[in-house]
Amino acid sequence: MIRDFEYLSPKTLEEALAFLSQYQDECKIIAGGQSLLILMRQGLIAPEYLVDIKGITELNYVQAEAKAGLRIGALTPHRAIEKSPLMKNSFSVLAEMEHRLASIQTRNWGTIGGNLCHADPAGDPTSVLMALNATVTTASVKGKRTMAVEDFCKDYFETALQHDELLVEIQVPPAPPHTGAAYTKFNIIETDMAMVAVAVSITLGTSKDVCQDARIVLGACASTQLRAKKAEEVLRGKKITAGLLKEAGQVASQEADPISDVTASEEYRRELVKVLVPRVGQKALDRARQA
Amino acid sequence: MSKYNVIGTRVHRVDGPDKVTGKAKYTFDMVLPNMLYGKILRSPHPHAKILSIDTSQAEKLIGVKGIVTGKDTLGKKQGIWRRFPELCDEEMICRSKVRYIGDPVAAVAAVDEDTAAEALDLIEVEYELLPAVFDPLDAIKEDAPQVHEGVELNINVTRHIEWGDVDEAFKQCDLVREDHFRCSSQAHVCMETHDAIASFDHSGKLTVWTSTQAAYYMQVLLADMLGLREGDVRVIKPPTGGGFGSKFELDSAQFCASLLSMKLCQPVKIVFTREEEFTASKRRTPMIYYTKLGAKKDGTLLAKEVRVITEGGAYTSMGATALYLTGFFSSFPYKYPNYRYDGYRAYTNTAPTSAMRGFGAPQAVFVGESQIDMMAEELGIDPVEIRRRNGMTPNYEVPGQANIQSCGLHQCLDKIEEHIKQRGKLPPNRGIGIAAYGFMSGGIFNWFDTPYAFSAAVVRINIDGKVDLFTGACDIGQGSDTTLSMICAEELGVRLDDIRIHAADTGICPPDLGAWGSRETLMNGNAVKMAAADAKRQLLEFAGAKMGANIVYDLDIKDRWVHLVDRPQKGLSYFDVVKEAIRGKDGEAIMGRGHYTPHRKGMISPAYSFGVQAAEVEVDPETGRYKLVNVTTAHESGTVINPVGIEGQLEGAIMMAGGYGFCEDQPMDNGKILNPSIGDYKLIRSLDMPETKILEIDTYEPEGPFGAKEAGEGLTNPTAGAIGNAIYKAVGVRIHDLPITPEKVFRALRAKEQARSSK
Amino acid sequence: MKKELKLTVNGQPYELYVKPGTLLVEVLRNELDLTGTKRGCESASCGACTVSLNGMAVKSCTILALQADGGDILTIEGLAKGTELHPLQKAFLDHGALQCGFCTSGMLMSAAGLFHEKPTPTLDEIKEAIDGNICRCTGYNSIIRALSAVARGEYKEQR
Ligand SMILES: Cc1cc2nc3c(=O)[nH]c(=O)nc-3n(C[C@H](O)[C@H](O)[C@H](O)COP(=O)(O)OP(=O)(O)OC[C@H]3O[C@@H](n4cnc5c(N)ncnc54)[C@H](O)[C@@H]3O)c2cc1C
Repeated sequence: MIRDFEYLSPKTLEEALAFLSQYQDECKIIAGGQSLLILMRQGLIAPEYLVDIKGITELNYVQAEAKAGLRIGALTPHRAIEKSPLMKNSFSVLAEMEHRLASIQTRNWGTIGGNLCHADPAGDPTSVLMALNATVTTASVKGKRTMAVEDFCKDYFETALQHDELLVEIQVPPAPPHTGAAYTKFNIIETDMAMVAVAVSITLGTSKDVCQDARIVLGACASTQLRAKKAEEVLRGKKITAGLLKEAGQVASQEADPISDVTASEEYRRELVKVLVPRVGQKALDRARQA
Repeated sequence: MSKYNVIGTRVHRVDGPDKVTGKAKYTFDMVLPNMLYGKILRSPHPHAKILSIDTSQAEKLIGVKGIVTGKDTLGKKQGIWRRFPELCDEEMICRSKVRYIGDPVAAVAAVDEDTAAEALDLIEVEYELLPAVFDPLDAIKEDAPQVHEGVELNINVTRHIEWGDVDEAFKQCDLVREDHFRCSSQAHVCMETHDAIASFDHSGKLTVWTSTQAAYYMQVLLADMLGLREGDVRVIKPPTGGGFGSKFELDSAQFCASLLSMKLCQPVKIVFTREEEFTASKRRTPMIYYTKLGAKKDGTLLAKEVRVITEGGAYTSMGATALYLTGFFSSFPYKYPNYRYDGYRAYTNTAPTSAMRGFGAPQAVFVGESQIDMMAEELGIDPVEIRRRNGMTPNYEVPGQANIQSCGLHQCLDKIEEHIKQRGKLPPNRGIGIAAYGFMSGGIFNWFDTPYAFSAAVVRINIDGKVDLFTGACDIGQGSDTTLSMICAEELGVRLDDIRIHAADTGICPPDLGAWGSRETLMNGNAVKMAAADAKRQLLEFAGAKMGANIVYDLDIKDRWVHLVDRPQKGLSYFDVVKEAIRGKDGEAIMGRGHYTPHRKGMISPAYSFGVQAAEVEVDPETGRYKLVNVTTAHESGTVINPVGIEGQLEGAIMMAGGYGFCEDQPMDNGKILNPSIGDYKLIRSLDMPETKILEIDTYEPEGPFGAKEAGEGLTNPTAGAIGNAIYKAVGVRIHDLPITPEKVFRALRAKEQARSSK
Repeated sequence: MKKELKLTVNGQPYELYVKPGTLLVEVLRNELDLTGTKRGCESASCGACTVSLNGMAVKSCTILALQADGGDILTIEGLAKGTELHPLQKAFLDHGALQCGFCTSGMLMSAAGLFHEKPTPTLDEIKEAIDGNICRCTGYNSIIRALSAVARGEYKEQR
């Protein structure tokens, strides 16, 4: 049962920010509602004011610029990203990820911004965006802040957003040359939430031989999506071999801090990390070589 | 050309047009004038005494019209086995004690659902918590908490089946295996949750619209529990959104809506939430199996001994039958000369377990077919071959239990063997596993001890030749309305669109025991066929006189043409004959009556279907994740009345039984089901569904209408076992407990690796 | 406080007043009596409530009615044109793509969304389009066959 609330539907960012500033923690933002409404129906969230930002068209866009890279408005629906012709080369992993996120109905209406703000550690976009070194911009009447996606995610269902702030944009920098990225979510029902997810981005040196940089992100393995930094270290500066990827998997599985729940035990999740990091890493590597 | 005009043809479902246009009104969709909405307060504790219930605050809430608690009931306990009072153990609203998380303690009727829900929060129940027991093996220990007073060791029912000399036979065996398995629970997940609208009027009559598999049972049980005469209770089943075994017991939506309506003389509607559906609408029975199998070197199975302990949950429900059937079907589909079964059903403080599609047989088949493959491997015999050597054949008598007439098991085995050959050599980590099975076409047991026939039908032919068919059969989606209309049309010699079916309204239809045990096609089909034949004979009597036939048997009707059997071109229009006949009967419409009760047909069922299924899986040996690639089934169900219906039953069964084998489970913590939502309870979706193939088998069942038998529940029996065997073929690990999750496969692979490296 | 809501449903414009917490499915079922759209869960995971909003398949149980303000909605009741069934409906009947029928409206509306996006979808696209819809009866394959037949052009568009 959804408790009564006051419904506000700003049509511009400015209006929305004014509402947030006015009502602070008495209000809640709704975008596509694909996550929020479930919680509201359970009575877990019962705001006084609901600020519906879905109608703010100025925040629904995907743009690509050679220098700045990809800019995605917070209100862009998942499906629009999946279908965007701009999702090519190093960005294609975003479309692949979106393609397996929930059902088409949810992708049609749910937004990428809402997904990030929901901050589910099993959420797909966050892992991929972290691997792609993405940043997010938030806004309030006081101004804008830009931070790494990593810093945006704080804890289970908790972000760096202040009460009066809105997530407005996601930026994905252009990939350095010879970069490849890949993502896999492991689950038993194809389009289900991840039991474990792994995103890897690898940048090779000019000789396409030595790993210059690597980013390994684990989903559903901790209270937020997690950079497996020690595992990345295993790869950095080295020529990547199957053995090395395997080692990175081992290290990543120690960095992971998963829980046991009805879908999988902690131990199994760790074991999956061991297997998936090398697999996804290999795919990223292959793509880096082709890039 | 087929000798039939209607049966065996591909037709649209008779309820299809309404369902594809959104017109079909389910109970869920109905709104009556002045209707109230009810909600049920359920126990949050697995085991507790109710010390007091204070409804005063809830009553004060504006919009609340009535509240009932156990005090408002007659204090009777309900159960389907009315002949055994000790098995009638469930209070529809608990009076003094709750036994599982979800047991009803009160119900509210209010002007809308939100108000009713709010009122639930205002009802104060004081409980005294009692120690609880959850695992059946704990429940049967001496010092276990008692779920029901006076029930020793919490043993609710025991069942024993035996023939031959099992102990002696084991001595004759070259190889004896003893194995242990665990079968998990499963939720029905009907898309329409349990719901009911009850309307009691000032003249003392109750009408209930409800999503049910057995309108007649509901009529009788409601009357009993409410203290009404059966005739004053009318139960109507609108289109129903699935049942799968969960909707043929009296449920709390039906009971509480009725009780509230009787108190208020206003219609009351109660719809289960999805969470209630998962936690308080019964579920498949988890079973712990110990099984011993003995064989000769050549693969002849000499003896089998099975011991089963089932998790009963808090009440008997239909669990006693599941306990019996799992024991009976553990002997299927083989000719064991010596067989012994001992089953125990233990009460626990968990959601009651009951009937679900297959009714104990999917558990038996998972266990039995796993073990037979293990035996075959040890003996070095091919899995198809060992089944062929021991499989049932036509006219076989299961000693003291059942008479099997038609049986196409061997044809099924041949076809499956061919299929496996066609798949050729499989790539690594792929495997095909098989499972053979049989199932009943309707149970012979009469829980109710009702003098009524098991099935009955009335056919009324109207002046324009249109036929009204009245039957108590319950179409819950499985398609009985279509199949029975087809049988009626065929027998009468008219077209399918000449038939209009009126089903499952106890006010106008003859009683029928309902849609369970795969009984409607055979039992109701026989009743419909008899009713149609009765009506037809009346037409032929008139036609015969006109056409100068010696005797009505020289005449027949086909495709609306009344004709001489020997000279089909000589005849009359069906429509003309109908008009004449009605005129000749002083204007009375032609009425045909039919009924069916299986007398002297063994103890279980008048007929059995058989089949063999092959499941092909592809395993990722590093993660244990596997994909169901293909499931091919050779199922023989006698004459196929409704081919589209059988395809649907078969493919649907694979989704459900594949889920039982692969991913569906109800993990609990201290009696609390941890995944009571469709998001958390894993169901096979379209992308997960394997390719499915049906291999046609031709058999004829003398007991069935036009030679037909079941094709409903039996199809859920093989899949879990076939998957288990396929996994073994693919990667060499055997999983003994359901569901066979990737994590279990992974662990088993790990253990195997460790065992190998430590050697 | 109720708010004004304007919707076009199956070509018919409506002006209503609803509480802000009202879901789109509640308006369709309770206010407009369009009960063909079903509800099967509380977690946005069964798809029985799928309708088409501005041409897109969406779950009407997870959209506030007010969020659809000004929208053009097609429900199962609007799929057939008068006495003529929609090709998808015909294909469902021919292929036995329904049993209990409770998921059928949602399935058809998901399918309608698919064909709106792409008149000749591939097999994978067909499976994806209905993956958000649970059917407990059919095992999906008959539905997939029905949609494949439509994709192959076996069912001529009406009009
Ligand atoms: C059945 C189902 C399956 C799903 N499967 C997956 C899956 O496989 N993978 C996956 O990653 N996700 C999955 N999801 C989650 C879901 O798709 C996304 O999380 C969802 O799209 C969130 O977007 P929204 O626009 O609907 O957000 P909403 O539900 O409207 O909002 C979510 C939260 O974010 C806040 N919020 C929204 N937008 C902003 C903003 N711009 N600024 C500040 N705060 C904001 C809201 O206040 C709320 O707390 C699934 C959901 C469902 C219902």
